[in-house]
Amino acid sequence: MADKLSQEIIDKIKAHADMEGGEVTPETELNALGIHSLELTEIIFDLEEAYGIEIEMNTVEAWGNLKNVGDMVAAVRELIGAKA
Amino acid sequence: MGRSRVVITGLGGLCGLGTSVREIWAAMRAGRSSIGEITTAPLHELKVRIGAEIKELPEHGLEKKRLVTMDRYSLIAILAAGEALAQAGLKIDENNASRIGASVGTGIFGAETVEENYRGLFIEGRSRANVFAVPRIMPGAPAGQVSMEHGLRGPVFGVTSACASSNHAIAIAADQLRLGRADVMVAGGTDAPLSYGVLKGWEALRALARETCRPFSADRDGLVIGEGAGMAVLETYEHATARGATILAELAGSGMSADATDIVAPTVEGPAAAMRACLADAGLKPEDVDYVNAHGTGTKANDEIETAAIRRVFGAHADRLSVSSTKSMHAHCMGASGALEMIACVMAIREGLVPPTANYREKDAACDLDITPNVARERKIRAAISNGFAFGGTNAVLAFRAA
Repeated sequence: MADKLSQEIIDKIKAHADMEGGEVTPETELNALGIHSLELTEIIFDLEEAYGIEIEMNTVEAWGNLKNVGDMVAAVRELIGAKA
Repeated sequence: MGRSRVVITGLGGLCGLGTSVREIWAAMRAGRSSIGEITTAPLHELKVRIGAEIKELPEHGLEKKRLVTMDRYSLIAILAAGEALAQAGLKIDENNASRIGASVGTGIFGAETVEENYRGLFIEGRSRANVFAVPRIMPGAPAGQVSMEHGLRGPVFGVTSACASSNHAIAIAADQLRLGRADVMVAGGTDAPLSYGVLKGWEALRALARETCRPFSADRDGLVIGEGAGMAVLETYEHATARGATILAELAGSGMSADATDIVAPTVEGPAAAMRACLADAGLKPEDVDYVNAHGTGTKANDEIETAAIRRVFGAHADRLSVSSTKSMHAHCMGASGALEMIACVMAIREGLVPPTANYREKDAACDLDITPNVARERKIRAAISNGFAFGGTNAVLAFRAA
């Protein structure tokens, strides 16, 4: 399911990813994106800025457990919800 | 027991003249200058419009995941090191990796990254710097990136002394070999300074040429900045012969000194002391040297003072020396200059050909050495020295001898 939030996050990821034409979907594994782990942090900060959410460092660490793009979308969705 | 001889078994380089040692040397032989209009970087309102740039990088196949972590100056260092290691025919594996290191000079820093981030923060209103800003900019980055790309696990570090950085890096790499800390060192320098902020700083110094770099010519009016990287694979003679490597030349010695007078104005004594120390270290008499690759920046002050320093060290033999400034062709590549000039020295020795000082027009009584104007000269070269003098008064000179 690619709602507005998923699509926006996927677009941000695509700007950093090295997929050689492959599609990024919620099922795409994060380690298949060809993104340096530190760059993943950069994407998280981008999301922070875009959605006015705050991701504490321990949250960032927790995100180390995220497996795929869909997990990332769900985590952002939760933070936006917590803010509202 | 004498100390170990240090030899060069591989060379690699990229600069305005070409993206391999073969291309660079072909241009030097032909006396072709690569100085021209800068087209690869946005110059905004800068007055300076000329430099010596690498128009197109060769295919390198590095993954995007790796490329995002490095500035241009690290990338070209990796490419130069790759060429040098390939020529050396050295197989790096679990057994020898910890005995192979790298020492990489830089006189600037990751300038392209500084530029992008300052513009982002100050002009475009971004709230934070790129997550890789620090690891891309830091002066130790090229050495670290070279080690990662080529799997070198021995002593690895950056070296910085402005325009003499390469020479210091190469000199100290030889020390690592002689001290037994490593069996092989990849040594050289890199810089990619053709970006707005760096050029703006040089513009303020009023040290830049208007049209081109004309070392030792009476109508010279300054230096031209270039980008590039150069690397050598250094190893002890014993190590090289034991593995049957082809020896390109010997790094016969090095000499270092400091002016300890002024942050920008050079002295005669400092450079002369470094040349003397280099000859002594290499066990060379002045009359054993046939070629001097001059620091030769093309500024009024440097070329006059360097001429006086060479005369002071070489005495009557100064008039039998062939001298040239290859900066007339590859421009002043800052922390990479000494490494590119090492390529000139080694190839000159191997091919018996003195690369010329290009763009030369008018005799200057204060620069009255045989500076090999415009056309290369055939001559047997037994030994060559390469001068590197720098802002800060930090001087380093290298000596090369036929293998």
